[in-house]
Amino acid sequence: MPLNRNLRILIVDDYSTMLRILRNLLKQLGFEDVQEATDGQAALALFENHTFDLVISDWNMEPMTGFQLLKSVRSRPAIAATKFIMITAESATENVIEAKKAGVNNYIIKPFTSEVLLGKIETVFAQQVA
Amino acid sequence: MGQSHIYEASPELENENTNGSEEREIPLYEVIAMAEKVTSALKPLVRSLDKSMYRELKDMLRNIEELRGDLSMVDPDDIFSRRIPEMGKELGAIVAATEVATNTIMSIAEQVMEVKHEDPKQYAEAVQQHMMAIFEACTFQDLTGQRVTRIIQTIEVIEQRIEVLCRLIENNQITPMADKSSDTEKRNKERLCNGPANEGEGINQEAVDAMF
Repeated sequence: MPLNRNLRILIVDDYSTMLRILRNLLKQLGFEDVQEATDGQAALALFENHTFDLVISDWNMEPMTGFQLLKSVRSRPAIAATKFIMITAESATENVIEAKKAGVNNYIIKPFTSEVLLGKIETVFAQQVA
Repeated sequence: MGQSHIYEASPELENENTNGSEEREIPLYEVIAMAEKVTSALKPLVRSLDKSMYRELKDMLRNIEELRGDLSMVDPDDIFSRRIPEMGKELGAIVAATEVATNTIMSIAEQVMEVKHEDPKQYAEAVQQHMMAIFEACTFQDLTGQRVTRIIQTIEVIEQRIEVLCRLIENNQITPMADKSSDTEKRNKERLCNGPANEGEGINQEAVDAMF
């Protein structure tokens, strides 16, 4: 089953360059409905007026980290089912374990390629279909 | 007080020696009695000397312990065997990442310049594909940014330790530093933030995929 390119995606990163890179990569991959937030709190604020199918978030941000955002999303029934990919330079095994325990759907380590990004999005939504 | 006891005993001793002008033999029991008087007169002095010496030694010990504690806060081993080498590694990784990204972007630019212009559709596709690769290569900025942040944190820790040393030298009041980590490091520890791993350390994408 082909991946739906009309996914509503929220990208969260405190580096404006990274947000720009992600937005452009997603656009090139065919995803046009992309919104941005610069930290966890800003992302949660966007959730109040928008619905997202997927959150792609960095880990290390101020004042609310991607990990805290993940836990926050999972604790709110209205948005708990939102797919969540952590895309980060945090490459310690315990971080991945913690993120998985908290309910992350997939985890991408920076630097990454567009193939890896697309592959993870496909995997996350294939799990849903399965 | 000790001295007054000596003077109390002295007139008697003087009397014994000066009253009789002719020389006489002093019996042993008198010598012993005089020795006892002298000893008992000196006792308070010796006792007070003992107390003040004990106090002095105790103060010296306390000062030495304080100095040892302060010097342990500086922890040169931690600076030279861990923090400075880590900083060197981070800087090396920054140089390497910048070099790789620069070469990648330059190679892509050269490839774009090589693309034939004859077929506009083919040209557009090729350029678009190359642009994707440029975006990917630009992710180095995020990683180097995080490495620079870690270097800044390490410099902050070293700065704090040097400050402790300076205060010691100036004999000023020293603020105890219970934890060797800086505030930012402590915050990051609580939040599980380690930042990018160095070459050969951390976990790669394949290992992460295996966990999912």
